[in-house]
Amino acid sequence: MNAWIVIVAAGLGSYLLRLSMIMLIGRLTMPPWLERASGLVGPAAFAALAAAGVAAACGDLGVTQAAAPLAAVAAAVIAVSRTGSPQAAILVGLPVLWATTALLPS
Amino acid sequence: MAPWLAGVIPFGLAIGVSAAQADIPTLAGWLTGPLIYGGSAQAATIGMLDAGATPLVIVAAALIINIRFIFYSATMARHWQGTPWWWRLLAAYLLVDPSLAVGLDGYRRLAGDRAHAHYLGGAVLLWVSWLAAIGIGATAGAGLPAWLHLEFVMPLYLAGQAVTKLASPASRRAAVAAAAVALLTLSAPLQLGIALAIAAGIAAGFSAEVRK
Repeated sequence: MNAWIVIVAAGLGSYLLRLSMIMLIGRLTMPPWLERASGLVGPAAFAALAAAGVAAACGDLGVTQAAAPLAAVAAAVIAVSRTGSPQAAILVGLPVLWATTALLPS
Repeated sequence: MAPWLAGVIPFGLAIGVSAAQADIPTLAGWLTGPLIYGGSAQAATIGMLDAGATPLVIVAAALIINIRFIFYSATMARHWQGTPWWWRLLAAYLLVDPSLAVGLDGYRRLAGDRAHAHYLGGAVLLWVSWLAAIGIGATAGAGLPAWLHLEFVMPLYLAGQAVTKLASPASRRAAVAAAAVALLTLSAPLQLGIALAIAAGIAAGFSAEVRK
């Protein structure tokens, strides 16, 4: 039940954020520092979520098996920085995860 | 719009897969699409619900991530002055990173109703594709075997996205600080870690910019 309420509340809040300036003020310039700070939300959010996700995946495994997600995410980061394509993360990371999971002793 | 669709459809599929794997009703996970309608906030909501975080913290984290919509709203307000209120309610609902870019491109090149139609056409196409991608991911993700480790699709996708956003020193600092705080606060009460980590990342990156 909680999940539904959370999703509806987050959705309603997101809609109000979208609507805020359109309905409040027609013309408004953001202070430049606020605009710069908003450009940092993306890198911060993606990095925090990725780190927590990898840690959660490692936490469910034994010490040796936990090396598999770490190897996969390292390969993914290298692949993306080499190719510049974010899609490379899944295309390279998942096969590396399968291979290392199969090879490592559990 | 096509390059944007190529970018967002894999993200939609990954969100769908994570919704199917998470410990919540799959339909609730899919509903993050039409309700929250912003990929990273949806990923955070589904991930934190799955981890059992407190409702208030999840909503706060999602709204911190979506706070950028205020800027998008201010950007579009200028172009949407004088349009009927129902149009603004609908256009605001569809406002998200790709539709903002497509809309601004249209308002630069076209005039009046044609520019509005350009925005709405692109935004509706994006909306339909996004919800379809999440639905396909959620359907496929539920039936696939465990050894595929599809729960790892989302962390990989997010890591890839983070890497592409590291052009400036400030963004690199934001990403490193956010990841470090996320790891340090893994066992924080109420799953406060993600919200704290995002705030710390923004602060770290911002302090780097101010000093410069």
